[in-house]
Order: sequence, then C-alpha cells, then structure tokens
Amino acid sequence: MVTAFGILEIIASPLVALVVGIFFLGLFRKMMARIHWRYGPPLYQPVIDLVRLFHQRGFSHGTLFDLGIVVSLAGTVILVLFVPIGGMCALESSGGLLVILYLMLFAPLGIALSGGEGANPNISIGISRKLILALSYEVPFIFIILSLMSYYRTISIVEIVNAQSNFHWALFSPLVLSGLAYFMILPAMLGLRPFDMAGAPQEISSGTAVEYGGKYLAFSKIEHALALFIGIALFVNLFLGGGNILTFLLKMLVVFVAGVFVHAVFPRFRIEQATKYLWFWPTMISFVSLILIQIVR
Amino acid sequence: MDRNQIKKWLKSPGKMAHKYSLWAIYFCTGCGIIEIPPVITSRWDAERFGVLPAPSPRQANLFLITGYVSVKTLKAIIKTYEQMPEPKYTVGFGSCPINGGMYWDSYNTIKHLDKYIPVDGWIAGCMPRPEAIFIAVTHLWTLIDKGMAKGYVKYREQYGRYRENQEMALGRLEWPPLFPLKDEND
Amino acid sequence: MLVKLIMLTAFGGAFLTWFLGKTSSRLRDFLAVIVSLAVNVLVALSYGKIQEIHWITFLDLSLVLRINTLSWFFAIAIQTVTTLSVIFSLTYMKGKERVDFYYLMMLLCNAGMLGIVLSGDLVSFYIFWEIMSWSAFLLISYNRGPALAAGMKYIVMSLVGSVAMLIGMLSLYTNYGTINISALAALGASASTGYMIFILILFFVAFGIKNAVWPFHSWLPPAHSEAPSPFSAVLSGILVRMGMYGFLLMLYVFLGVKAFLDLKLGWCPVHYILAWIGAINIVVPTFIAMFQNDSKRLLAWHGVGQGGYMILGVSLGTGMGVVGGTFHIVNHTSYIALLFLVVGAIEYRTGGVRDLNSLGGLIKKMPVVFIGALVGACGLIGLPMTNGFVSKWLIYKTLILDGHPFLAFAALVGTWGTILSLYKFLHNIFMGQLPEKYSNLKKAPFNMQLPIIIFSLIIIVFGILPGIPLKLIGAIGSSFGFESPGINIGGIVSETGTLNTINIFAAFLVSFILVWLLFRAGGKKVDIPQDNSYAAGSHVPRDKYHYTVEFYEPLFRMIKPYFRDFVDEFYMQLVKALEWLSERVRKVYCGDLGIYVIYIVLFLSILVISKIGLKLW
Repeated sequence: MVTAFGILEIIASPLVALVVGIFFLGLFRKMMARIHWRYGPPLYQPVIDLVRLFHQRGFSHGTLFDLGIVVSLAGTVILVLFVPIGGMCALESSGGLLVILYLMLFAPLGIALSGGEGANPNISIGISRKLILALSYEVPFIFIILSLMSYYRTISIVEIVNAQSNFHWALFSPLVLSGLAYFMILPAMLGLRPFDMAGAPQEISSGTAVEYGGKYLAFSKIEHALALFIGIALFVNLFLGGGNILTFLLKMLVVFVAGVFVHAVFPRFRIEQATKYLWFWPTMISFVSLILIQIVR
Repeated sequence: MDRNQIKKWLKSPGKMAHKYSLWAIYFCTGCGIIEIPPVITSRWDAERFGVLPAPSPRQANLFLITGYVSVKTLKAIIKTYEQMPEPKYTVGFGSCPINGGMYWDSYNTIKHLDKYIPVDGWIAGCMPRPEAIFIAVTHLWTLIDKGMAKGYVKYREQYGRYRENQEMALGRLEWPPLFPLKDEND
Repeated sequence: MLVKLIMLTAFGGAFLTWFLGKTSSRLRDFLAVIVSLAVNVLVALSYGKIQEIHWITFLDLSLVLRINTLSWFFAIAIQTVTTLSVIFSLTYMKGKERVDFYYLMMLLCNAGMLGIVLSGDLVSFYIFWEIMSWSAFLLISYNRGPALAAGMKYIVMSLVGSVAMLIGMLSLYTNYGTINISALAALGASASTGYMIFILILFFVAFGIKNAVWPFHSWLPPAHSEAPSPFSAVLSGILVRMGMYGFLLMLYVFLGVKAFLDLKLGWCPVHYILAWIGAINIVVPTFIAMFQNDSKRLLAWHGVGQGGYMILGVSLGTGMGVVGGTFHIVNHTSYIALLFLVVGAIEYRTGGVRDLNSLGGLIKKMPVVFIGALVGACGLIGLPMTNGFVSKWLIYKTLILDGHPFLAFAALVGTWGTILSLYKFLHNIFMGQLPEKYSNLKKAPFNMQLPIIIFSLIIIVFGILPGIPLKLIGAIGSSFGFESPGINIGGIVSETGTLNTINIFAAFLVSFILVWLLFRAGGKKVDIPQDNSYAAGSHVPRDKYHYTVEFYEPLFRMIKPYFRDFVDEFYMQLVKALEWLSERVRKVYCGDLGIYVIYIVLFLSILVISKIGLKLW
C-alpha cells in the first residue's frame, strides 16, 4: 500500500513546510522593517539565526525539558503530513479533520511540559496565557469546522479541498460568514498581534521561551515556523480551495501578508480582553453561520 | 561585510553565523542605555546587521555593558553573564567600565570591569554616539574572524581568579561556582 | 457452571479473607490478592460463553445467572480494576485501622458488581445492586471526618435510585409476569408509549443517580475525594459505570433499537433529550473541574464529565455511536483509575497531601508515577495514540455525519476544558520547584508502580491497536441489532472516513526519531540545576515561588459565576427546606403533659362530631 510516490510525498511535505515557514519568518521581519521605514535584515536572516543557535551550547533543566521540546516539534512535523499541501497529502486516509484537530494539541502540550520543568514564573504565565488563548479561539474554530463538515458532509479534509476546485471556493458559498469568522481568529491561531500575549518578548520575557537557549530555541523557532505554515495552510485549504502547489503557495503568501499588516498596526490585547473578544464576535458570526448551514442543508 | 560569500559559510558556519546574528541582552546598566533605542529602531537600524535585542540572557550572545557599573549592578551583571550560553561576547561601552571614567574615585563603582568578567572589546566615549556602536560591531566581526574573541574561554579556564575578584568586591556569593574550582590547597 | 464458580469464589473469597485475616495480616493480604487473581482468571476463561444458569428459587421465582458478550466485557473490566486496586492497597493501607473491614468491603463490592453484570433476572440484579451500594457506602465513609457527610449524601441519593428501580421492577413484573431479562427482551417494544416513558423515567432516575448523570451528579465529587484512593479508583472507574450497564440493558435489550429511536415525548424524540443531557454533562463538569484546588476533586469532576460522552454515544442509536460510547466506558476506566492511583501514591509518600497548591516538583522524586500520570492525562484528553482518542473519534464522527453539529460542539469543547484542568493537575504536582520539605521523598514502592504501569500499557496498546477491544464491542453492537462498522486491527474502515492509528503511530515514531537525531546534532547541552533560572539578574529563592497558584486567574474571573454547581445548591436548599419543615413538625412533641391532654380531647371531639354530627362514617 506504500507506493514510491507516497514515500516521496511523505519526505517532501515536511521539507516544503520547513522551507516555506522559514521564508515566512524572514519575510515577516523584512516587511515589519519596511513598514517601520527602515531597511531590515535580509530575507535569509532566520537561517543565520538558526545556524547560530545550533552552534551555541544551550542549558538544560532535566530530561523532561529536552523531551518536551522534541515531542512538540515531532507532533508539529507529523501534523504537516496530514494537511494537504498543493496537490499532495501524505497521510490522507487516516482520520481526516478530527485527527488534525487533535494533533494540533501536541505542540502546546509539549512546550508546556518542557516549560514546566524550567521552573520559571514567566514560563508559567506564558503557558497559562497560551492555554487560555487556545480555549478562547477554539470555541469559534469548532463552530467553523462543524459548519464545513456539515456543509460538505465529510470529515476528510482532502474531500473538502477537492469540492472547492474550479473556483467553487468555500468563501463564495453560504459558508462566507464562517470564512469571515476564521479570518478574525487567524491572528490568534498564528500568534500575531493583537493576540501575541503568550510569547510577549518584553512583558514576560518571551514566556515559554525564556529558559530556551541554543538548540532549544532553534527548535522553538522551527516549531513556530511550522505552526505558521500549518495555520495558514489550513485556512487556504478549508476556505480558499487548494489548487496545485504554485497557486497554493501564492494564496498562502496573500493571507500571510494580510496577517502581517494586521500585526503591524495593532497593539497587544490583555488575555481577558482577547477572551472577551474571541467569545463574542467570531463566536456569534460562526454560530449564525452554523445555523444558516443547517437551514440550507 | 562578507555575509553573502557562500564559501566562507561552508568553511566555518559557526563563526559566520555568530557574526551576523548578534543578539544583545537588553540589559540597561547605566547612563549608556539611552544610546541603544536609536540604534535598534528606525533611525540607525541595527537589525540589518542581524543585531537584535534579546529578552532573556539564555537567548543572547552579546552583552553590552553600557555605562558605569555600581557594586549592586555588578552582581546582576555576573549572574546574567553566567546565564548566557557559550560562545558569548562582551563589549564594554563607555569610559566607565574601562577605567572608572567620571567616577574614578567613587567608593561605589567598579573601576576595571575586566577583573570580574572577561571583556572582548571596549568603546571609549562618554557617551559614544550610536555610530560608534556600529564601528564596534564591525571590529567585533574582525575579532571573531581571527579567533581573538575568546573571552568566554578565558572565563572558563581562569574561573578561580575571576571568582576571587568577585568575592572580594561583593562578599559571599549566593550562587555556587559555575565551573569546578581547582584548589591548590586541597 | 463457570458462572456459578465465579460468584462463589467472589463472595466466598471475601468472607474467607475476612475470617482468616483476623489471625494474621500477611495471610489476609495474600488471600485478598489470590482471591482477586483467581476470579480474574476465571472471568478471562469464560470468554465467548453464552449461557444462563438457575441458581436459587425465591418466592416461587427462578433467579438465574447469565453471561453473554456484554456481561463478559463489563466483568473483565470490573475484575481487572479491583485486582490492581487490591495490589495497590497492600502498601497504601499499611498501618491504618480496621484494614480487614476494608478488604472485606472491597471484595464484597467487587462481588456485588460481578453479580450485577452476571445476573439474568431483575431480582438478582436488585440484590447485587444493593450489596454493591451498601459496601460502597461503608467504604466511602471509611476515613471518618468529612467522609461521613460525603457518604451520607451518596447513600441518600443511591437509595432514591434504588427505590425508583424497585418500583420499575415491580411494575414490569405485574405487567409482563416475568422477571427474566432475556424473556423481557423484546416485550418492551410492543408497550404503549406512556408505559415506556414511565419505565424509562424510573430507570433513568435509578441508573442516572448511579452514573452521576448531570442533574443527579452532586454526590460524586465529595464521595470520590473522601474515599481511600484505591477505592476511589474502583468507584470512579467501574462502579459508576454500572449505571451505564443498566442504561444499555434498558435501552437496547428491553426497548430494542427501533422502539428506542421511535419513542417520542410529544414532538421531541426521547433520544434527543438524552443526547442533550449528555452534552450538558460533558461541558459543565469539565469546566468546573478547572477551578478545583484539590487533586481528587478535580479528577472526580472529570469522572462526571466523561460520563457525558458515554451517554451521548449510547443515546444516538447508531452503530458507531454505541460502539464509541461503550468503548469509552472501558477507556475511561483505565485512565481515571490510573489517575486516582497516581494521587494515591503521592498521598502515601507525602502523608496525605491532596492540595494542589502545596505540592510541586515531584517529577524528580517519583518518575514512574509521573509517566503514569502523563499517560493517563493524555488518555483523558484524547491525544492520538491513546485509547481515549479512538472512542472520541467514533463519537464525533457519528455526531457530525448524522447532522448533530451542536452536540458535536459540546463534545469538542469538553476536550479543551480537560486540557486546561489536567495541565494544572500535572504542573502543580510534578513540575515547578520542589519544596524543601519534600526533598527527601522516596520513590513509590513497587506494588504501587505495578498497577500504574499496567494501566499505562493498556492505554497505549489499546490506542495504537484499537482493533483488539473493538472487535468485542462490535460483537456487542451486533447483538443489539446494529451492523458493525468495519473494524480491523488498526482502526475503523468505512466509506465515510477511515481511522488508521497504526499510521499515526508509525508517523509519530519516525518523526520523533528524526527530530531526536537533529537534536543530538546541535551544540552539546549544559545541565544546570532548576533554581538557576532567569530572574532578571537576581537569585531565585527556594520555597518562595509556587507558580501555579491561581493559574487561570483571568479566565476564572470571567466564567466562574456561570460555572457554579447550581444543581448541588438546589439540592442543598431542598435539604434545608426539609430540615426547616421537620423542625416545625417536631414542635408537636413538646413534652408538656397538659398539651398532650388537649391533643387527646381535640382528636376525640373531632371523631365524635364527624360520626354523630356530620355522619361521615
């Protein structure tokens, strides 16, 4: 059952995700710099940072400290295998969107376990904020996913992507309200302002990353890049139709640039403001959309 | 700036990466910190050289001592320096860490910072302008290229001497020795 | 024959342990373990048997014992949990008082539960149900102090349920003339709607109180927190699920699938009402669990919450739903028993500390217990590669594809409440700074580690190869009349979406190895002690920081007013009103002879007037 093309897909998907994710990190810094009217680092600056971090000798607080970050990155890597990228999806018939929803739990849980071992109050505050933020955006996110699955009557993400070919994007169908709600919670899922309080650099000394040095920080950055990739890829797959690999990456670029523009303009919310906002507007819009879909179907 | 010379990257990636990704701890020692915000913001953009402020010493590899060092600050400086991962570089900024500067006869400042933590380079001035910081960064690149920025190795090898000096200035230290001390009287 | 042997060994062994244990405590420990293991082996040997045996005649009624796939499924779960708890209690109960009473009640409770699932008629069901309830009450109040109030709450509510069940059974007997469950099997389908609703309500009260379904759940948190920890594991793991066994019997054996799905209360189908009760049962208790500061109370609220998944799965009436709900029963047993045993090990070593705000950093002292807690927490959350994920996946799939998105929303949001509360549980006990007073803690003894390891293995093996238990549960589903979903060793294969846990496990293993190799390729790490932490240049003092007191404070401030236990407050108000009424009525007995004479004169005059004057009688 394992074909050569299948193995190629399994190897190529994480590599594509890594390259695109790191490119997005560099593009992010360059764009923020240009918005600030300065020059900014070159686009390959994250690669330089990662090489430097791998070269440094980081500190470890114990076995769980190491294992936690490894588990977190491993979980994110296999999540990439389940998300369709362009035309390829490595592990498509293994449970669909529900498995993706649950595999997304590995990353914050791994970092939370590793950070708990770090025994620093900033880490605990960071984890607390991250978990509360995740709870806050999951409520509208679940409504959105349920609207999609009810409308297309399937739990497989590949089928949802295939149903949107030829410009029958979900964004142009009765699911438009869900798409709007998803775009409103996208900064929370990606960790962009106004929802970047979980890893705030100045306020809580970067939260969970305060004790990470050397290769641990490198892993944390790679995990951030992959999480960025997966978050945007999910949005493009679910609402903007997949398309072949070039269209897919182009759509991801457009969504990412829109996200950076939002990030550049907003200040940071407090966590209770974020929860109040996420449980009010996006929840209401996605709830109305779910009721609409039930009526339409 | 030889950032785009691939051959050098392939020969010694560690050195090149350290040169072009110097994250400085945002440690505001003394009066010199006022010169840092223009350096890292739009006016004299330091990010194009790869220099960023790091929120935590664990994530940094450059330590800028910007200004006079009082005895109370010395404790924090030593603790922060020891919390940075190796390889790391220190730059003394201003005249006060070099020889006491304006406070050369004060009871409460440290005159020669080099006795307590190893310093790789100095920037003279009271205060130096932000352009001096960039010149210092390029000098640091030359030192790293030639392999002469070995302050952290010196700290590891001569830790006994440094710890003695630290204890003389601060009294009993609350943290245990970072490296095992070789005791001649043992 | 084997069934009779199982019951004899279970009951006889309990009394034998008590008698012979009065002579020597080592003999009692040895006998307790031997009896549990023997019954375990006997139950395992009776796999695949389907038979009915008469055991006694009582009041002209023939009482029978019966075993089939559903009974075997529950029996093996009951016996495994009890055996592992008994092994755990060998060291946990050392040095406590009345230990022979403890073992007697534990084994008697176990025998009662086995009797419930192996009974073939209503009267033996009731007898064994009562034995189980009473022995559980005696064990819950074992510790005295606040446990007495908890036990009182439990037994009062349990008695209400038992009385409701008795009324239901009497009504069934007078209506159909038989008490045999197999004979009653299809008779319910032909009854009138009103009668079905009546029976359903009575049995819902009975089984709902035992299963701690949402309006009847308020006995569970105090009872499970005050009971001794190995018995909490049995209580929360399998004793409350006897209510689920009752539900399965009631809905699918007595009513049958068609009748259950067609049953309507006015315009509203009854199974929708049950499903919504299940949905509320998932969301509210899971979020209340987040606010608890006592580790056992946190787990007890999760015991209530996960019951909602089972009710949701079972009441949908689809093949996949019943399989998912039933599988969740045994999954929940494995991880909640594991987590209660973990708390028991911590209590044993720290001298009874349950308060989450005073523990910390115990991972260095008790690594095996931590791994068990981690696996149990992952199972409860439902991470992939644990068995909780498979059962939840089945329930979600049937909810989404049958068009119940709001129920699916409730089920999915429950997971996030679980994640938050279990992370607080793990962090407060095992991570963070180790307080000074625990720096000499020893590791948990081996016979506490053994049940923890066995439960963790069950969780992981059933998570990666769910086909092993799913085949049996598919057979149970077929016996109810559903067509079973295509089950293979790695998961479910169906045309509406497959689940392949072996793929997920293989992918995780490969990516873990690759990332680990990348990790080793990085710069060599430097090990530093835990208190060498970034504190902006200051030295972190020991024993001054506990980072997870008020961990989710911003969230609590927002949602705490909405997540109080309203039902419990209502019951307490009811109890207060009853007490007020009884106080008033008590005043009739005032002890004053003159008033009593007036009572007599008044009553006689009423009698005389009603006979002579009004001619009432």
